[in-house]
Amino acid sequence: MKQLVALLAAASACAQIRLVPSFSKSPLVAFRIVFTTGAAADPAEKPGSAALTAHLLAEGGTRELTYRQVEDALFPMAGSLDVRVDKEMTAFSGIIHLDNLQGYYKLLRARLVEPGFREDDFTRVKEDLINAIRSGLRNNDEDLGKEVLYENIFQGTPYGHYTLGTVESLEKLTLDDVKAFYQSQYSQTNLFLGIAGGYPTNFPEQMRKDFRSLPEGAGFRPRSKLAPLIENSRAVIVEKDTRSVAISIGFPIMAGRNVVDYPALLVANSYLGQHRMSYGVLYQQMRQARGLNYGNYSYIEYFPNGGQRMEPPPNLARRQQIFDIWIRPVEPQNAKFAIRAALFELDQLIREGIPEDGFQRARDFVSRYVNFLTRTQNAQVGYSIDSIWYNLTPYVEMLHNALPKLTREDINAAIKRNLRTNRLVISIVAKHGEDLKLQLASDEPSPITYNSPKPEAVTKEDKIIEKWPLGLKMEDITVVPAEKVP
Amino acid sequence: MALGAPPAKVFPYAYTQEDLPNGLRLVVVPTNFPNIVATYIVVKVGSRNEVEPGHTGFTHLFEHLMFKGTEKFPEAKYTQTLQRMGAASNAYTTDDYTAFYTVVSKEDLPTVMEMEADRFQNLKVSEPEFKTEALAVLGEYNKNASNPSTRLDEVLSETAFERSTYRHTTMGFLKDIQAMPTLYDYSLKFFDRYYRPEYTTILVVGDVKSRAVRGLVDRFWGGWKRGSYTAEIPQEEAQDAPRTAQVEWPAPTLPAVAIAYKGPAFTDTAKDTAALTAMALLAFSPISDLYQRLVVTEQKAATLYASAPDHLDPSLFQIVVRAQHEGDLDYVRDQIYETVKAFQEKLVDAARLDAVRKHLHYGLTVQMQSSDAIAGILTRYVALRRTPEALNRFYDQLAALTPEDIRAAAEKYLTENNRTTVILAGAKPQATAAVGR
Repeated sequence: MKQLVALLAAASACAQIRLVPSFSKSPLVAFRIVFTTGAAADPAEKPGSAALTAHLLAEGGTRELTYRQVEDALFPMAGSLDVRVDKEMTAFSGIIHLDNLQGYYKLLRARLVEPGFREDDFTRVKEDLINAIRSGLRNNDEDLGKEVLYENIFQGTPYGHYTLGTVESLEKLTLDDVKAFYQSQYSQTNLFLGIAGGYPTNFPEQMRKDFRSLPEGAGFRPRSKLAPLIENSRAVIVEKDTRSVAISIGFPIMAGRNVVDYPALLVANSYLGQHRMSYGVLYQQMRQARGLNYGNYSYIEYFPNGGQRMEPPPNLARRQQIFDIWIRPVEPQNAKFAIRAALFELDQLIREGIPEDGFQRARDFVSRYVNFLTRTQNAQVGYSIDSIWYNLTPYVEMLHNALPKLTREDINAAIKRNLRTNRLVISIVAKHGEDLKLQLASDEPSPITYNSPKPEAVTKEDKIIEKWPLGLKMEDITVVPAEKVP
Repeated sequence: MALGAPPAKVFPYAYTQEDLPNGLRLVVVPTNFPNIVATYIVVKVGSRNEVEPGHTGFTHLFEHLMFKGTEKFPEAKYTQTLQRMGAASNAYTTDDYTAFYTVVSKEDLPTVMEMEADRFQNLKVSEPEFKTEALAVLGEYNKNASNPSTRLDEVLSETAFERSTYRHTTMGFLKDIQAMPTLYDYSLKFFDRYYRPEYTTILVVGDVKSRAVRGLVDRFWGGWKRGSYTAEIPQEEAQDAPRTAQVEWPAPTLPAVAIAYKGPAFTDTAKDTAALTAMALLAFSPISDLYQRLVVTEQKAATLYASAPDHLDPSLFQIVVRAQHEGDLDYVRDQIYETVKAFQEKLVDAARLDAVRKHLHYGLTVQMQSSDAIAGILTRYVALRRTPEALNRFYDQLAALTPEDIRAAAEKYLTENNRTTVILAGAKPQATAAVGR
């Protein structure tokens, strides 16, 4: 009996830290160390706690070494530690050549397990995050539009604030707040240790031992809550001095990676708006046929910084996702037409379903592109961690099992169950907010003019698009200055 | 490395390099990453070639036009074929070159080669399609325009250069972008001039064998006709005094100062580029004394970085610093001037120079995580010198650097007369009451 208890205790101690090793012959070793905590665990009055904590660890000194000493030691190895904080996950990642494995790992471990928490590091990193909002996000209209959309949809829930927090809240956060967040959230139960490459055999176990110095269990965190029901469509216009108009449109969906509709919606979404590819309907119709802008895409999972990246980063797992359409900046006179055009295309998809050839192509694309997304060992470990979090078979395997069985009818049924063109939120970044508000609240047609003749198919559709009802009333549209978000 | 051993080449993969009779070059790099093949087609035409007034940004527009299809593979067929392959495919334009890439499974390489060869030889764009695509380019300008760095970059280039085509950015001047729809006939001329085998290198990296790829290239690209055009690219004259400019940004943003010095053209046969690359790190990266003082200790700067010139023609050594407060701009600017002066006067520590060499070596190695990443690294060297060997030669120059070389490069290029300084200041945050009507 005593033995059994000891055995169980050992098993539970081991089970606390989840090790995700992937050995290969590569001379490069990739680390992905993921804590299952993030902005959703921010204390209610302290948005930004998760982000500030994570960035202070990754961009500060350790108990023994100052920031400069750590950076000096990492420099000849070209070692870096990236951090990405999201709602449910905080991922630290780095890649190092085998020559430098031990030296790099020592610093990585110290940064995460024995952080320095120095006041001067804290003020520097805090200023960096404030600047990332004030100077970064607010001068990137597309990202701003998308983040405002998420904030608006999830308002009143733990997902309802920008992941980095707000300027106001960050300014108030103290080093003690960060220490408290670290104490409560950086625990063994919240930890995935991912490693891939040609590491020595005993290396993963050594890592697990090293991270046992973290507290075993995590502290309190707010309960997850679904996004509130959207009763009527609404729009939020972020006003700033800018050349063009950036637009995001969305609503919450229940089809996360662990829901049965996910593979079908992934195919439907790829058909409608595969990220940064010329394959989607939105891209073809709005950019290629009409020259409205640089591109138009749609999403069923959070995809940050889409203007800067071609592939989604792993470890952005969430309990609830939104469906969103990203309309890249348009000339101001075409803003309303562009919104109408996107909703027209979405409506076509819902009413008529995916055409047979479009279905075949999109399914082929998704089933092969997933091999590309997971081609690096770094990505493989990231996707593995996500699949464990969602309690799923590995991502590639899951899709390769599900996709061949999908029929066009399955896709169309999933579209009808999950997508809609009403009860949505439109987020817009524009210069003349009040003018745009008047335009959006009116049912007046918004015809478009072109610099060249268009095929009849296009002009015929334009006649429908220019009158497409948005269902927005004056009271559903708010105008907010950019300095007030997030 | 054992003493006396021959220096190892920094690029660890064996590759083949062959020229077709028409002047097209093929570089094949078999890697040990399974299944995936990255094809990068590099055309040595960039915004540098835009010598005619009113045509800035045209090279980039032309990159877009290359996706408009041919008789055999009209746009929809081309796009849909790639879609069924699960291809990651796109293109980009720089000051010096245009690159088109397609990343697919190895069994799809023959189709990719056939389609690529077809569009490079038989592109067909109608005038309405041309005009519509010009609007997509304006859209691209618009999406960049909300970023103050874009404006800083534009003003810096325009101020530093007078004759060089680096005076305009790759996107081009806004007025030229807005006038693009009128230039249809010029697009035919542009294709005829530059989309020619002697301007082009095909780079294939991944799960492939060189001989098989050569067979495909002979078959699909062998009939491509050589051209005869060479652009006369004006050379910048020596600058005789420091220059300054000011940018007012309409929204609140961190104030910034960009300081640029006229540097050399890229070289892999002399130490100049290598020395300036090392200096950018020694003087301005997070391990530098200046960074530690301005960013870490005093916290007057939010960011500081420098980049060395690496272009076909002489281009800029740039230092960009963002200050936390506008009142500190003069101070951080003067600190940069002082640092440059110190590098002209004193020798750097040999151990720190060695750390820089290691950093660059391992930095390159850790990037080589996939076949497409390797192709992406080689693309620039292929554009500059038409061979991956340029990468090895450049790292040989880095390996041979001495502290004296760094000082000599600083003395030669980072002079006051070679300098352009641009200040960017943001708007003051507006009072809430003043916004909205």
